[in-house]
Amino acid sequence: MPACVWLFFSHSGVSYDTAFTDGCWVVTTDVIKGAAPPAAAGLSRREASRARAIRRFRWSILAPLIAVFTLVLTPVLLLQLYFSFHEWTVYLGSWWDAEWVGLDIFQEVFTDPRFGWAIVRSLAFSVGSTLGCFVFGFALAFLMYKPFRGQALYYIIFILPMLTVPIVVAYTGEMLLYQAGPVNDLISRMLGVEFKPAWLSSPNFALTAVMLLEIWNWTPFTFIIMLAGLSAIPKEPIEAAQILGASKWRIFWEVQLPLLRPVIFLALVLRFLEAMAEFPKAWALFQGGPGTATETLPIYIFITTWQYFQISKGAAMSYIVMMLMIVIVLGAIALLRREKRQLDAMYAKSEAE
Amino acid sequence: MARIELRNLRKEYGSVVAVKNVDLEIRDGEFIVFVGPSGCGKTTTLRMIAGFEDPTAGEIRIDGQVVNDLEPRDRGLGMVFQSHALFPHKSVAQNIEFGLRMKRVPEAERKKRVREVAEMVRVTHLLDKMPAQCSGGESQRVALARTLVTNPSTFLLDEPLSSLDAKLRRELRAECDRLHEELKRTFIYVTHDQEEAMTLADRIVVMRAGQIEQMGSPLDIYSQPASYFVADFFGSPSMNLVAGEIVHEGGTPRFRSPRFDIDLSNRYAGTPPGKVTLGIRPEHVGVGVNGEGGNVLPVRLVEPLGKDTLLYFDDGTERAFVAVTEGLANAAMKSGTPIALKFDPAKIYLFGADGKRIAAR
Amino acid sequence: MTKSTRRRIGSLVRYVLLTFWAVIAFFPIYWMVSTSFKIDTQWFAWPPVYFPDPPTLANYAAVWLGREEVASTQFTLSMQRPLQSLMNSTIISFTSTFLAVAFGSVIAYGASRYKVLTEARMFQLLMLRMIPPIVVVAPLSLYYSALGLLDTRFGLIVIYSITSLPYAVWMTKSFIDEVPREVEQAAEILGASRWRTVFEIVLPLIRSGLVATFLFILILTWSEYLLALILSKTEVATLPIELSKYQGSTEGRVYGRQAALAVGITLPLMIVGLIIRKHLARGFSFGMVRR
Repeated sequence: MPACVWLFFSHSGVSYDTAFTDGCWVVTTDVIKGAAPPAAAGLSRREASRARAIRRFRWSILAPLIAVFTLVLTPVLLLQLYFSFHEWTVYLGSWWDAEWVGLDIFQEVFTDPRFGWAIVRSLAFSVGSTLGCFVFGFALAFLMYKPFRGQALYYIIFILPMLTVPIVVAYTGEMLLYQAGPVNDLISRMLGVEFKPAWLSSPNFALTAVMLLEIWNWTPFTFIIMLAGLSAIPKEPIEAAQILGASKWRIFWEVQLPLLRPVIFLALVLRFLEAMAEFPKAWALFQGGPGTATETLPIYIFITTWQYFQISKGAAMSYIVMMLMIVIVLGAIALLRREKRQLDAMYAKSEAE
Repeated sequence: MARIELRNLRKEYGSVVAVKNVDLEIRDGEFIVFVGPSGCGKTTTLRMIAGFEDPTAGEIRIDGQVVNDLEPRDRGLGMVFQSHALFPHKSVAQNIEFGLRMKRVPEAERKKRVREVAEMVRVTHLLDKMPAQCSGGESQRVALARTLVTNPSTFLLDEPLSSLDAKLRRELRAECDRLHEELKRTFIYVTHDQEEAMTLADRIVVMRAGQIEQMGSPLDIYSQPASYFVADFFGSPSMNLVAGEIVHEGGTPRFRSPRFDIDLSNRYAGTPPGKVTLGIRPEHVGVGVNGEGGNVLPVRLVEPLGKDTLLYFDDGTERAFVAVTEGLANAAMKSGTPIALKFDPAKIYLFGADGKRIAAR
Repeated sequence: MTKSTRRRIGSLVRYVLLTFWAVIAFFPIYWMVSTSFKIDTQWFAWPPVYFPDPPTLANYAAVWLGREEVASTQFTLSMQRPLQSLMNSTIISFTSTFLAVAFGSVIAYGASRYKVLTEARMFQLLMLRMIPPIVVVAPLSLYYSALGLLDTRFGLIVIYSITSLPYAVWMTKSFIDEVPREVEQAAEILGASRWRTVFEIVLPLIRSGLVATFLFILILTWSEYLLALILSKTEVATLPIELSKYQGSTEGRVYGRQAALAVGITLPLMIVGLIIRKHLARGFSFGMVRR
């Protein structure tokens, strides 16, 4: 429990107390206590009762969040932890019959080469698809941010891929990459010879195929974000740069790109995190195969838990992956917060005026 | 040398005509101000000179050379924007040196010129700060510096003082004036504030609905307005304008309106009778406290301003009729006091039904 | 080269590039739709059939109406119940989205006006969402089975609401931030309590924002796959799960049918997405875009 509390409250500057009272943990933070009203003696009657009312209000707003935490997240995480240290299989019946095995399961996971490969594949997939989404999304946004005729129609077409449910993307991808499918047909027509490789059975290509589908599916996401960022850049500094003699290239590098940094980071971070969690495409198309070619972390955890029924190993792996992701996420938070702060600082004055 | 010619400029946005026909020549070193209400086309005209908008028709020449086809960066102009348009992610010094960097001026030279210019507009103490840390007035000065340092032949200024408060506006107005004196370059200035136009301009171009309403020196514009619009636009408080008609009685023309009966003297003897609007500036309205003679109206409101006192009258229209008296002599006057208003015929303007001023003899 | 010529060439290049990507973006969707109208002999034909001739509604009839023309087709479907899945998807998505937006907007109000969530917290909330669901889905399913929530609509609604909450908070907060405080202060002076201000004053003012947020999250919950896969068995399969059941059908791939089902899943989303397309940028910006 303290771990969860620490996890949630760390590095935010909120002070908290934990106490084990009446058989349950009680966590109070200064948010709930109400942001430090000065000593009651110094407040007038009205101010004190107002402060109390505000505290009640904040408490009741936070109540659902706290409920979610205590009723759902905490038990689930605790269960996860439990199973990481207790070997359990379905045949045992009750959970509590599982025996304590200390760090054995973790050791098994760490020495499992398949796990290592899953990590590698996930990272490769995420980096690749994030870069792809970013490059195309940025290019499209750059072509689209200034008004022109037909822009609205292009915009509609460009966001359609994102509105396609990932599982549908998977199956449509299968239809396209089918050996006798349109992709091969188009390539054949271009090359002039019949070119019918079986993309879907190729271990070498499988992960790339999923990556391409992911890029197709999510480029609109980075496109929309980058477009918003580009459109938000005020027009006048750019005109000022033009009249001061800057070429289009210079303006891009010196004026637009620096002001786009927060948005770029946001797009990269969000896409990377979501790509690490991607499941439907790899599963529906390949089930992690051929062989283990598309066995990313989510797939491997899934297989371990629901095909091999190694619940404990799955739990341990999940925990490790969760820790890994939390580290990445904390870094992402720090990065994004810093960018937001800089962005606010740059534009702060115009609000103050 | 920077002589700028605008020949038959026209700008259309689809079916909207922002600029109908602008044709004029700007002399080298002149401080010319385009002034008018919003939507009159003054900013569009400026942006066409800068190169940010392409004219639908017409030519822009700088020193005789047609520049329609040149990009803004190749026209040798400098521009100051309404919103200062500083690069928010660069320091003040980096902002100022930007133009020099684009021209590949070596670093040592750049630093020297930046410092010179910063001293000229008094922003030296801000050089290492970021734009967000500068106040409104300071930002505009930095914007000026950024343009100055590139030594353009002509300065374009698009309502640079609109976003500032009154006191800052006066300060920076003086700054603009001073710079123009020192540099002797052409300044093309756009504003909607008639006071700025009157104080800064060598020549004023009054625009309305995409066309030039009148051009001339501030004195001309003020004392010889070509139309009702120009007369109304310039002057604070605005010129009194009363609708009525001109009649000829006993050989002399008179102006009649529900509240007024004014002798127009021979100046308008040649004007045919009919509907006209009479105009007279508040400072030219004579005030007789005794309440005798001619047009007598009760005072509705007394506004002591310190230097002057304004007296408001009801002339039968929605606009108040205003007279300006010096000092605070009348400050204690009670509302309702009958006042005799005297009109000096030489200061009376008449405007016809078409809005144009009727010429007097 | 004159300015206008340069302008025209640039414009041409732009159109070429954009059209190129437009084709890439649109073709798979077109393929899916056209395949849904193909008779079974055309599903695997080589060279592929780009324009179904003759087009048929047999796939739609088979999938959505359960009508099989047994004589002319070789394919039958086992255990598929698209209409039930449609109902499940609809109920689960709409309910969980509503809950997420309802709670999320109130929390967002608290965050916006009373600093109930600091900026750090807001980002943490977002990042919580970003942790792959796979890592908690196993114990979650055990927890659910202990509570008897496995394979129930309630169970899925609860978890979908929770995972959508961060987005709901972020999106509605950006709308609430734009409501001037004076409006609430006016309400306070006139005697309104805090809660009343929230529900009678602030939320109605951001009505269009709430709708946009609702539709946005609806898209997410409608397309969710992994949680539905694990937490449902037979009773409450959602549409995405339904589609994946075709994977296991023993008769091999039935592209036409899959396409017909896929179109049914995707069409509502596309309509919804196009309706809110102007708001999508706001939903994705997370404070990084200056408004």
